[in-house]
Amino acid sequence: MNPKRVRLLMWKEFLQLRRDPLLLRLMFLMPVMQLVMMGYVVGADVKNLSAAVVDLDRTVTSRRLTDSFASSGYFNITQRPAKEADLRPLLDRSEVKVALVIPEGTEARVSAGGAAPVGIIVDGSDSRIASVGSGYASQLISAFNAQRLAEQGLVLAGPGIDARVRVEYNPSLRAVNSMIPGLIATILILSMATIMSQAVVRERERGTLEQMFVTPISRGDYLVGKLTPYMLIGIAQMSIVAIVGRLWFRVPFNGQIWVVVLGLFLFMLTTVALGLFISLVSHTRQQAQQTVMFIMLPFMVLSGFIFPVASMPSVAQYLTYLIPLRYAIEIMRGTFIEGAGVRELIFQLLALALFSVALLGSAVFSFHKRLSD
Amino acid sequence: MTEPIAEPAITVRGLTKRYGDFTAVDAIDFDVARGEIFGFLGPNGSGKTTTIRMLTGTIAPQAGSIRILGEDVIANPERAKRRIGYMSQKFSLFEDLTVDENLRFYAGVYDLPPEKFAEQRAYVLKMADLVGRENELTANLSVGWKQRLALGTATIHEPELLFLDEPTSGVDPVARRHFWDLLYDLAGRGVTLFVTTHYMEEAAQCGRLAFMYAGRLIAEGSPREIREHYLQEVGATNSNGLPRTSTIEDVFVHLVTREREETAR
Repeated sequence: MNPKRVRLLMWKEFLQLRRDPLLLRLMFLMPVMQLVMMGYVVGADVKNLSAAVVDLDRTVTSRRLTDSFASSGYFNITQRPAKEADLRPLLDRSEVKVALVIPEGTEARVSAGGAAPVGIIVDGSDSRIASVGSGYASQLISAFNAQRLAEQGLVLAGPGIDARVRVEYNPSLRAVNSMIPGLIATILILSMATIMSQAVVRERERGTLEQMFVTPISRGDYLVGKLTPYMLIGIAQMSIVAIVGRLWFRVPFNGQIWVVVLGLFLFMLTTVALGLFISLVSHTRQQAQQTVMFIMLPFMVLSGFIFPVASMPSVAQYLTYLIPLRYAIEIMRGTFIEGAGVRELIFQLLALALFSVALLGSAVFSFHKRLSD
Repeated sequence: MTEPIAEPAITVRGLTKRYGDFTAVDAIDFDVARGEIFGFLGPNGSGKTTTIRMLTGTIAPQAGSIRILGEDVIANPERAKRRIGYMSQKFSLFEDLTVDENLRFYAGVYDLPPEKFAEQRAYVLKMADLVGRENELTANLSVGWKQRLALGTATIHEPELLFLDEPTSGVDPVARRHFWDLLYDLAGRGVTLFVTTHYMEEAAQCGRLAFMYAGRLIAEGSPREIREHYLQEVGATNSNGLPRTSTIEDVFVHLVTREREETAR
């Protein structure tokens, strides 16, 4: 490899990128658009869910419980039906998404030191609202219990209102906190695979690839000169997402930077190699584009970026092991949210290392083969 | 050229390239002397481009030997690459770079020192009639200019041997004539030219010709030798008793038809 020629190829690549203002703009608009979409639309917290409260107890305790729901910000109590039977039509018409039913005698039971069941009814037609809504409700109730016991000078051990779910790692349940770290990895594959898949096939279509290999430019010079500029752009894109995520969306970071860098580096090699490989096996740019589209859907669906892997059917769960994005997202979420280190993420890091070696190897091999045939 | 002409520019022996069951180039032998304009003819798909790609060291043959300017291309493709130039029918310039950037890129590839580059750049711009248009995007040039710029970039490092793969296809007759004048210029300066073409009047301007058909060489010699051989074979008069025309085109059509009939039999 000749560093002077590599630099020359990089210079050429950047000049060509600059001449393609649309591509360049897309590459920097993409992270911004993704941030808005993921941060505000997909990652938006479930808030102000319209709720109904059926207070059959009508005591101080029941009113305080109702108040804690009303003041939480998660629920907007719009209806107060007198009896439980009136809830059904409200839920049917989607006027409320969540309902809290406090049975008669709740205060009495709690005061007696017993457990007092309350009812939480959730509209399950939107699974996300259902799970988040019931999660909030359970959380509110346990907070209510803790406060009540503290007031009485008791430790949090005695019975009370019976509903508790502990939400770990992301106690505020902010979806953005897990969306943005996932987006850092996702944006890389979205843009790198697309752009890289075009890179070599375009040059072959135009005949410039053939021309260059009649000159002393070696295959190594060419590959390094071609990949480096795009990797630098990938790093810029990821940095935009990470910085905006930290500063604007206030996503907490609990891990070690170097684990993130290592994971993203391995993942970047994987995506660049994947794009290059597609570019080499495609004969035209359209073909390359189609192939990328074909691959992207399973990547998005099976990576766990939007749909949690744990809730997939078991066959699909096995398939997710084939998706490199899955590991990258786990590394990002693990470091950001849980503060996981290398020890906890060793499986994911090794998997990505394996993917990058295998894909880069087959890309270089098919590059060699395609040119010498 | 002052250097002693030791070896031919090209020596090819038993050169073979197969793709699966298909033999694209079938054990061909030929020599090209230094300073010669060598015309390489054949119908589409006869193996001309495959041969050129092997000669330039882009693809590897299955069998045979290639010596270019005394270098063994198969064992050591990189050494010959510095001394040869290549221009294809696609005029493979970077269309999204300017004229000057294209020149700068290829000069850099061959590691030309700055003063040499300045000299060559001035020469190419003048030759291609592009003085004053250095900063224009190559995509905006019309075909004739692109073709001459492609020739300029392919010769920026002053190669001793230049491969031209159908360099005039899609170019109007005036530009084609102008282009051939430039080729004669290069030949006059001692550059060996290896040209494939579809235009028979161009073939007649070559010093020596080789006809390729279905991966094999079916005729070789100077245009005159080839024409004379043809007249001997088919007779000097046609069926009407008139003197037979013997342009390179006639010979080409005759040879290809004869080969087709033989393969059919």
